[in-house]
Formats: sequence, C-alpha cells, structure tokens
Amino acid sequence: MFDLFKLELFKLRKKLRAWLGPILVFLLITISFPLTVELASDDLKNVFYSILWIASLLTVMVSVEGIFLEDYEDGTLENFSVANDSLFSMVLIKIFIYWLLIGIPISLLGTFFSVSMTGEMSSFYIALPSMLISTYIFINLFALGNSLSLNKGSVLGALITMPLLFPILILLGKIVLNANFGFEISNLLLLMLGVLLLIIVFIPFIISFIIRTHLE
Amino acid sequence: MSGSAMLEVKNISFSINQNRLFQNLSFNLSKGQAIHVKGSNGSGKSSLLRILLGISSASKGEVIWDEEIGKVFLGHKNVLKNHLSVADNLHLHGLDVAHPEVRSILKDLNLDQKAELLVGNLSYGQQKKLALVRIFLNQSSVIILDEPCVGLDDQTRRLITTFLTTELGKNKSIIYTSHIPLELPSSEVIIGIL
Repeated sequence: MFDLFKLELFKLRKKLRAWLGPILVFLLITISFPLTVELASDDLKNVFYSILWIASLLTVMVSVEGIFLEDYEDGTLENFSVANDSLFSMVLIKIFIYWLLIGIPISLLGTFFSVSMTGEMSSFYIALPSMLISTYIFINLFALGNSLSLNKGSVLGALITMPLLFPILILLGKIVLNANFGFEISNLLLLMLGVLLLIIVFIPFIISFIIRTHLE
Repeated sequence: MSGSAMLEVKNISFSINQNRLFQNLSFNLSKGQAIHVKGSNGSGKSSLLRILLGISSASKGEVIWDEEIGKVFLGHKNVLKNHLSVADNLHLHGLDVAHPEVRSILKDLNLDQKAELLVGNLSYGQQKKLALVRIFLNQSSVIILDEPCVGLDDQTRRLITTFLTTELGKNKSIIYTSHIPLELPSSEVIIGIL
C-alpha cells in the first residue's frame, strides 16, 4: 500500500499542470476578487467566504478532471486489474494524494486570505477546518462523476456530480452564518466530518466498481 | 483443475451485440507451454485474451486459473506515460534504469541512450520496445501478449522470440496472438476462432 502511495504521488508530482495549475487558478480568484469589487470592508467580509467556497469547488473540479482518464487510456488501469491489485486501494490513495497536493494547499491559502480579508483570527477556525473537510468531499464527488463519464468527457461527470455538491455548499453557508451570529459551528463541522467519513470508504468502493465496468 | 494445467478453458463463447465471435472454445495451458491464438482481424483474439485475464466475461463457459499463478500482460496499450521520461516510466513499473539487468535490456533494444527522453518523443516502435522491458523483467509464470510484434523491426522480433524461448525453458507459459509468426517451440494453434 505504501509503495502504491509512493508511485501515485510520484505520478502526480511529475505532472505539474495537474496540481500546480489549479492552485494558481485558486490564487488568482482569491487575489483578484477584492480588487475587482467595490464593497465596504464589512460587505466584503460577508461575501468573501462564498467566493472561497466557489473558488475551491471550481479548483477541485478542474484538477480532478483527468484523475482516471490517463490511466484508463494508457492501459494502467487494465494492467492493475490483471495483476489482481486492489482497484479500491488505488482509488483511495489517488484521491488522498489529490487532496494532499491540491486540497491542503488551497485550504491553507484560503485560510490565509480569509484571515487577511476579515482581519480577525477567528476566521482561521472557520476557514481551515471547513476547507480541509469540504475539499476532500469535493475531490471524492468529482472523482465519482469522472469515473462515471470516463470515456465520455468530463463535462458530463461534472453535471452528474453537481446535485451531490449542493448539500455541502449549503452546510458551508450555514457555518459562516452561524459564525456571524456568534453561534456554535463545531456541530456543523462534525456533521460535515461525518459525511466525509462515510464518503471516504464508499465512494472509492463505488468508483472501483465503475472502473471495472468500463474496462469490460 | 486437471493434471499439470495452469489454465483450463471450458466451452467458452463470446458475442458482442449479438455478433458471435467464437463458441465452445476449450483448451488447457500447462507449464512450459506456448499457445498461439490465431485468427483473422476481428475474429475475437484480443477479446479471448481479455476473457482469459478476467477483464471481460465470456457469454458462456468457464475460465479456471490455478490460483497461485501470476500473470503479466502486454496488449495494445503500452502502459506508458507520455509526459514522463523513459527512466521515470521504468520507475513506475518498479524498475531502476541504473540496474545492470535493466541497462542490458535497454542496450539490446537500442534504448540505453534514451533514458532521459520523454516517452511522448519516442517513435511508436521505440515505445513498444520500452513496454516490452516490463515484460522481459517480470517474474510472473504466465506471459500473455497481444500482437507483440506490431511496429517492431526484425532485430527486436528476433529478440522477442529468443526471450520467449528462454522463458519457456524456465517452465513459464505463454499465450500470444500475432499475425507475424514467431518461431517458438511447441507453440500450439487454436483453430475454430471464426
């Protein structure tokens, strides 16, 4: 399992445009947004989180676009299946590595921007856990969509995934709302963590089944 | 599983969209045996290999492998990353370009000076040769090749024949499809794939 982790990390690390490109897009959105709107700083504080969630959603969507496509087209997945290696482990590790190389950096960047934008340290406790958890969920869901539309283009995959993302976006909105009114947000974060714990196991399992069907 | 058979194929049939490719095909594969799957284009040779490998399912019949058997397969896809170098691609398959055995095979295939080149910049034939390195250095008991000679020069084809003959001598088993005949000892032809 650790060897597989090392190989998958090597593969993604060597493919700069797959992870660095999306991070730069995220950076561009978060930097350019305050420059392009004329809002009083209080208003900016309120809408900034929405921009953060949408930016992270789009960044993940772009980065996960080809998560399985290359391996499918060059025969890696087929070879994996022949060698009787576990497709489930491979999918699980692949998703984790995408989170490691894309999810964590954009969560840290997003947290940095939210603290500097609001000027309040409390933003750190809202943005960091929310983004760490939500990006992992987004990667899982987009990976599911892309596995469904493996040889039919990524647009279809994104469309299939969109409805599944709405509850998470609503939860993220609720977290900001609760924080603004001074209410507890840990219960909502725990709810999101619970969703993630379910997704972490079930989505890779479903994806590995879908990939096997594609290989047939 | 009967006798020394590593693989038993029992009355398998396969159809795609109601187009029957083959039916009631039966054969065994023993240790040290080579089987040449012959047939015209579109007769279902690749499909048969995919069924044997468990990637696809037969419409009817059974494929029984000795459970302990390791298999290595080279099909139409080379399992290579175009954006990575030759050395990096070998690394992905657990091979170190600096290892004497790997270097020797790369030299035989005239790829020893290309370790740092991107695979996407190699010709089709060179990519195929690189894909063969993985097969040549694999320790699996069964080697399955789908048209291994396509796009290769005479020298490389001879190298494949020599390699496969050596592997047969080591009691390994081979199943291959090829329109270009390989001079392999004891190769058996499956007739009846229409």
